[in-house]
Amino acid sequence: MTRRPLLIAAAVLLLAACTPGTNTSQDVAPAGQEAKGSIEFWHFFTDREAKGIDAAIAKFEDAHPNIDVKVTAGQDDAKMLQAISSGKGPDVGLSYSTDIVGKFCSSNAWRDLTPYLERDEVDLEQFPETVRSYTSYQGKRCAMPFLADVYGMYFNKTLLAQAGYTAPPKTMTELADMARKLTKRAPDGTIEVAGFLPLLNFYEHTPQHTAPAWNAQWLTADERSAIGTDPNWAAMLKWHKELVDWYGYDNLQRFTAGLGDEWSADNAFHQGKLAMAIDGEYRVAFLHDQAPDLDFGTAPLPVADNQADRYGAGFVTGNIAGISANSKNPEAAWALVRYLTTETDSVVDLANSIKNVPTTKAALVSDKLEADEQFQTFLDIFANPNTSTTPPNASGPKYVEMAQEFVNGYLSGASTDLPGGLKDLDQRIDQALDLGR
Amino acid sequence: MTSVLTAAESTVDARRPVRRRVPRRWRHRLTVLSFIAPALIGIAVFFGYPLLAAIYFSFTKFDLLTTPQWVGFRNYVYLFAHDPLAWQAAKNTLWFVVILVPARMLAALLTSMLLVSLKRGGGFFRTIFYLPALAPPVAATIAFVFLFNPATGPVNGFLSLLGIDGPLWFDSPDWAKPSLVLLGTWAVGDLMVIFLAALLDVPKPLYEAASLDGANGWQRFRHVTLPALSPVLLFAGVTGVIQTLQYFTQAAVAASVASGTATTGGGVSSTFGYPEESTLTYPLHLYVSGFRYYDMGYANALAVVLFVVAFAVTLVLLRRFRAFTGETR
Amino acid sequence: MSVTISTAKPARRGTMLRESWLIVVARNSVAIAAGIIFFAPFVFVVLMSFMTSDQALTSNLWPSTWHPENFVDIFTKLPMLDYLVNTTTYALLATGFMLLSSVPAAYALAKLRWRGSTATFVVIICMMMLPPQVVTVPLYLMWSNAGLTGTLWPLILPMLVGDAFSIFLLRQFLMTIPDTVLDAARIDGCSEWQVLLRVVVPMARPGIAATAIFQFFYAWNDYYGPLLYTSEEQSNWTLSIALSQFKHLHHVEWNLVMAATLIVMLPVIIVFFLAQKAFVQGVTLTGVKG
Repeated sequence: MTRRPLLIAAAVLLLAACTPGTNTSQDVAPAGQEAKGSIEFWHFFTDREAKGIDAAIAKFEDAHPNIDVKVTAGQDDAKMLQAISSGKGPDVGLSYSTDIVGKFCSSNAWRDLTPYLERDEVDLEQFPETVRSYTSYQGKRCAMPFLADVYGMYFNKTLLAQAGYTAPPKTMTELADMARKLTKRAPDGTIEVAGFLPLLNFYEHTPQHTAPAWNAQWLTADERSAIGTDPNWAAMLKWHKELVDWYGYDNLQRFTAGLGDEWSADNAFHQGKLAMAIDGEYRVAFLHDQAPDLDFGTAPLPVADNQADRYGAGFVTGNIAGISANSKNPEAAWALVRYLTTETDSVVDLANSIKNVPTTKAALVSDKLEADEQFQTFLDIFANPNTSTTPPNASGPKYVEMAQEFVNGYLSGASTDLPGGLKDLDQRIDQALDLGR
Repeated sequence: MTSVLTAAESTVDARRPVRRRVPRRWRHRLTVLSFIAPALIGIAVFFGYPLLAAIYFSFTKFDLLTTPQWVGFRNYVYLFAHDPLAWQAAKNTLWFVVILVPARMLAALLTSMLLVSLKRGGGFFRTIFYLPALAPPVAATIAFVFLFNPATGPVNGFLSLLGIDGPLWFDSPDWAKPSLVLLGTWAVGDLMVIFLAALLDVPKPLYEAASLDGANGWQRFRHVTLPALSPVLLFAGVTGVIQTLQYFTQAAVAASVASGTATTGGGVSSTFGYPEESTLTYPLHLYVSGFRYYDMGYANALAVVLFVVAFAVTLVLLRRFRAFTGETR
Repeated sequence: MSVTISTAKPARRGTMLRESWLIVVARNSVAIAAGIIFFAPFVFVVLMSFMTSDQALTSNLWPSTWHPENFVDIFTKLPMLDYLVNTTTYALLATGFMLLSSVPAAYALAKLRWRGSTATFVVIICMMMLPPQVVTVPLYLMWSNAGLTGTLWPLILPMLVGDAFSIFLLRQFLMTIPDTVLDAARIDGCSEWQVLLRVVVPMARPGIAATAIFQFFYAWNDYYGPLLYTSEEQSNWTLSIALSQFKHLHHVEWNLVMAATLIVMLPVIIVFFLAQKAFVQGVTLTGVKG
């Protein structure tokens, strides 16, 4: 059986396979023309939130009767990646996180939106600078911010009062002290109530969310790892390690193993097993719903002792929307993106129904925005100029997850050499990022 | 190579008038082709093509969205010299191969033998034993992880009644993999069914002849049951190894549920490997590298290495257990 | 041509009966214990399917309030019946096509002698060795160019050209059929196809049934395949995708997921219970081998 025809056929197929589907023209219609046609919109929401999106789409179609939107729910990044790479994909895509911004912008999988923004005179200043930074990469803006998640501190007022505290901690030393005093242990040493959980792979206690409190930098300007050379990282990890050792790593492991799922009614904070916790703004609504008797407060995360002027900063990330390169009707797609991300009433409605933070300045001050005192904390954190995010990168979340793995190992005691380990982590992250360069 | 002509065949030939001078060899080949042709097409399209693509992509930098760029051995150098996670993942996967495959084979053998020996209620028990294999893998893993929750799950609750302080199961780096083995052995129904079909194929007279000859239970097992089961045993071993080298779903779901941030249908990749990279399997690392980090070329290099390992192990199994294939050639 | 052989026990009934009684009790106890272990997690699944969403996945294992309407809810939230049709179509077609292509291939590998049979056998096993995550990349492009993404056809059509796992399994079963029976048929003037269809298939029924069951249930519970190829076209979703849809942004309705899991399992449990007869039949048919 001759194999050569088979190989030649395979080579031909391979060449066909290798052609990416991202060759499209970047022509932009002149201003003032009415967009029309039908477009496909993919998003990741399901169930109740999907209905919220459907309502927004319905209003959009009312405002643009010549545009017809076909909505598909439950699509994730991997699906969009596969579809766009094979030449298909939706006209408008909505992604849960900012992981894809680096790659989709640099590879033109999502179109450059600058021509549209300039033509339609969209004011980018309506978004905070950090939000602008996570929707563009290396100068190319290929995404618009949708809704945002902001992270801060939740504290159990009852538990705090029992130990004599009336206010949440503002510095890391205060946090460590309060954590120790608020912890309750059984006679045999097992933890019953933890003042604050210092592990960094628990619920929303992650390096990404705490780094802004220490002003710890992830990447340098030329996208090399900054972790090994930034003293704030060492300070942050030392602080966490000290608290871990105070609790005892095995005790912490046992304690967390028995805690309820983060997204269930058995959430440790809901149940009063955690006096202080890091979490996102959406937790307010869950607490009202599932633990109405819990007296809780919200505040920004404490900051490193020597950075008291940065108090009020936090971590922000968000959903992003973009137009795929293969879109056959980019004008209509842009109309939808613009509506969903800048139309104030629509943004406020969605923020209210999904319980996330809206990203436009107009939406933030709108009186239709439902924000009680506890939710307002997060709006304030969002507006704080020191609030930061993890910088976008063409390798997605690779550097964050590599750092996470190192941090887990360090806190568990598997590795003990912090300076050496951080330098090694730098080197490994750089090598890993090189793989994709 | 001509097939061996038996005396019977040549007499058949002599009786039939020869209509065409088509050599027997070609007629035989055409016959074989008529049986195997679809499979050959399948091999070419669904194996040959992806294999060549994988080998090609493994030498490129490829992110699915732009044209692949040739980079030579860079991916392989990274794999073997600079990626400690790849080694951890390989170790985890090999652990599963060595422990999970024999565990499942043993469980399948014991349960199928038990079923064969049941006089009454066989159908009922057969269904019950098979039930776990019918459960959708994601839901089954979630249920299992929850049942084994160290503080609130019934398993540790039951153990504490016996005075045993249960381990942290899926939350312990030492127990996470054994817990997954328990899950895999619980869902052994599919393998059990195959063993059962083979056991039922064993003619009863063979057993009776053996016991009339004075063989006891163990000897009957060794000399009647085992040889009769050998083709499916080889099958179970080879496919077990190959499938365990691809072990993905249960490890991903168990890690994300045990880490306390459960979502259905696979979790966020930051929870993969929980706790402490103990459940990070090689295919999980491959998936994350290719689809989350856009290192598709590297993922293909990982795949090629996996393929080579699987191929080597399979060849060894097929060669060493040739006696087990029951081939009469 | 079956001869039923009586399973009469030899003499010395007195002691034999006493031993058998103990063994029977032991055997049944083990069976019951094993049954409990295999079944216990399902009790948990059933309990969860009656709970409220808030109570599911908490440490409270007994439903504080009972909600049988969960089973109705899953049908109103999602078009489960459509998904049932899709899943059944996929599983039936995949199994049928698999049998059409794989039984002859397995027979050729098991019972026909030809140069390259060992190599082909090894290559077929090799088909299972490439990780699906990597194989899907070129294949997805191929199906996309054929315009078949968004449907289940990329999962069904490949069964027409054989399934490696099934071919391997069928080959192992077919190899246990004695050559003498086949040779007798050949001498009688049967072509190889007639040998396969008239002699081999009836004799290998338990093995073929096991393989078909395997393929059917694999397709029934297949999640990643339909997710990859049909997720953009909701009308073509299967039940396994539906199972992952009962969630909100930050919250999964586990009670509904478990209720839906039971509904998804019910048809296959029934199918399996009924298909078991194929095994029992095999016993009397093969009574004369050897």
